[in-house]
Amino acid sequence: MSTPAAEVGTTLPPLTVRLTRETLVRYAGASGDFNPIHYSDHAATGLGLPGVVAHGMLTMGLAARAVTGWAGPGARLVSYGVRFTRPVPVPDDGVGAELQVAGTVTAVDADTLTVTLDVTCAGEKVLGAAKVVLAGAAA
Amino acid sequence: MPITPDHAGKAYAPTAPYEVTRGKVAEFAAALGAPLVEGGGPVVAPPTFGAVVTGPAWDVLFTDPELDLQLRRVVHADQQFRYHRPLEPGDVVTATLSIAKVRVRGTTEIITTSVEVRDAVEQTVLVADATFVHSREVGA
Repeated sequence: MSTPAAEVGTTLPPLTVRLTRETLVRYAGASGDFNPIHYSDHAATGLGLPGVVAHGMLTMGLAARAVTGWAGPGARLVSYGVRFTRPVPVPDDGVGAELQVAGTVTAVDADTLTVTLDVTCAGEKVLGAAKVVLAGAAA
Repeated sequence: MPITPDHAGKAYAPTAPYEVTRGKVAEFAAALGAPLVEGGGPVVAPPTFGAVVTGPAWDVLFTDPELDLQLRRVVHADQQFRYHRPLEPGDVVTATLSIAKVRVRGTTEIITTSVEVRDAVEQTVLVADATFVHSREVGA
């Protein structure tokens, strides 16, 4: 299976992901990123954050699901880059935070396809310049 | 002595060889809420799995006594992975970090780094470029 037929302007199915403290703990263990701002309110507020925030790499990884789920296993990842423009606070309130991920194909050429992601939390953009370039995709 | 712009160009030794296993890839995929599908063909690591193999190289940076950084005062500003080929179970890789640029603005230190991940035959698998912002503790 390869990437669905796509042209500039094609939109990907949107993705909504909920994050709780459990999500952060699991990601810390799986990734080996034990920066305490991702599990300790004391450490996070000491840096001027409102409280524990998600790992930027977790947000980046979750956002990528919108592309990998759409592209399928036939597509090969060439590059994936983001700027972390705002932290994603994840309060320990039984609700956590919700990420909304939207993707649009913004470039297609003979070999590659570029998807630009729009990733927001509570209406605020949390990733900037988020672009995934895929190869082996059927344009 | 804290980190200075003169640290640009500093390169570290490769990390110890790390073997990518199916179990670790599965754990990482599950942590992102997208568990691997059994019998779904060859296992390809999620796009940001590069952070697992790059992490030990970042740890070397954050614990380098010459730079005097504190991990808890570090935030990630940007990240880019450029894959030459997918990371797959069975790969044995090393990660080699170099400091590309350092900017100091008061107590804020902006550190641009590049990590090259190479396989057992020294071929580049991926390059991970990251910018970290370290807020130096005043009076520390």
